[in-house]
Amino acid sequence: MKQEFIDAVKSGRVLTKKCTKCGHLHLATVYFCQNCGAKGFENKILDGIGIVATYTIITVPPAGFEKYTPYAWVVMKIDGYEIRISGFLGGIASPAQLPVGAKIKITGYDDRGILLEKQ
Amino acid sequence: MEKVCVLGAGSTKYGKLEDSITDITIQASVGAIESAGIDPKEIQAGYISNVFGVADKQVHLGPVVMSNLGIPEKPSLSIESACGSGSVSFREAFANVAAGFYDAVLVAGTEKVTHTGTEWTTTYFSYCSDFFYEGGAGASFPGLFASMARAYLTEFKATEEDLARVAVKNHENGLLNPKAHLRKKITVDDVLNSAVVASPLKLYDCCPFSDGASAVILCSEKFAKEHSKNYVNVIGSGRGGSPATLQGRDHMTTIPSTKLAAQAAYKMAGITAKDIDFAEVHDCFTIAEIVDTEDLGFFEKGQGVQAVREGRTSMKGDIAINPSGGLKSKGHPIGATGVGQVVEVFEQLTGKAGERTVQDAKIGLTHNFGATGASCAVHIFQSV
Repeated sequence: MKQEFIDAVKSGRVLTKKCTKCGHLHLATVYFCQNCGAKGFENKILDGIGIVATYTIITVPPAGFEKYTPYAWVVMKIDGYEIRISGFLGGIASPAQLPVGAKIKITGYDDRGILLEKQ
Repeated sequence: MEKVCVLGAGSTKYGKLEDSITDITIQASVGAIESAGIDPKEIQAGYISNVFGVADKQVHLGPVVMSNLGIPEKPSLSIESACGSGSVSFREAFANVAAGFYDAVLVAGTEKVTHTGTEWTTTYFSYCSDFFYEGGAGASFPGLFASMARAYLTEFKATEEDLARVAVKNHENGLLNPKAHLRKKITVDDVLNSAVVASPLKLYDCCPFSDGASAVILCSEKFAKEHSKNYVNVIGSGRGGSPATLQGRDHMTTIPSTKLAAQAAYKMAGITAKDIDFAEVHDCFTIAEIVDTEDLGFFEKGQGVQAVREGRTSMKGDIAINPSGGLKSKGHPIGATGVGQVVEVFEQLTGKAGERTVQDAKIGLTHNFGATGASCAVHIFQSV
């Protein structure tokens, strides 16, 4: 399921699992419903667009991210749904460039994980 | 359920240590044994908390520690729950003594990482997150807490100065702790002018990477009474979990596991947050202490910053928070921290805290979590 999730992200979309019992929505990497415990899900594909829920701009990076520094790591709330997804957003050096509420989108997946950009 | 007591406590200095992880763990353990006034052979099991023993070429620490304490035949185990390893290990020991399996056990937490350097520690600590979503997308731990800080500052109209005041307070407390890593008085301006690590958090908003080991002897009340008058009762123990990721939480200005652990601990103790005289809380970053004091019920949500502004969490305030200096000043050897908090409470409640004694304190609380609070344990202690 993780690979299918990554494939969807590569095309700018988010693969989610909707619980067939209670309707709770999860990112596709979950196996039992976090709300009711049921294990029946139907796949639901969402557009990878949303707003910045919170973020940070990292200036002391972990290994592998030195050449991208500074960059933002962002939690995005997906438009129209109570679900969030986080990822890497490059080319950001100051908080003024990325206020909470700014419109962003998913653009791909590589060795930096889920890639986000400003809309 | 048996009543459980802390009979003795020992700790190395926190900071950059020369001795090996094995040596510092044994030093802290010997300190706890001597403090308890027991014969090592009376210890029936060892609980060792550690995360990065691999960095000092020693995992499976338990048998090495027990052998050097002269009790190689005694069982031991290692427990890893990121930065919460110490309190989680303490909880497992508590449960086993409470259940009557053991009369007396050693709980030792330890870490040795400063020789690895900032990049190694930043990278390896990020493995404590849900790596697929967080560490793997470049989120460091300062970055994850910075994201919580950004959410908090936005929602509650707090400022970076408010965060800085937590660091200033904890450094003031740490000045009086001879075992603290960073014994240095700092100002709000020092914090604001320090290098940005992950905005809005600066270097002085962050606890240091530390080496160190702490240990306690945990025992049944019967065993305690037979050995000493200087012990402390464990009156509450609670645990909780949170979604492993920040994205998985409805609110990023609260840590669900803290609330769950605190509720369980208060219930077991039969008290409320108002009864706590002082607390050692998990202030890995300044924002964390503010969130902790709200989640533990000391202040309403959003009021934690006001409490700091008014000095209510200082040594002379309504409730002293982190009299030891906390992770921020005392230091954060991640496998040791949760046990080190118990050492502080033991010293406070048995009259051994010297200059940093919280006046008239009878009930102390420890709060320690792993990662961004994905796992958490809260314990409550009362003087005899």
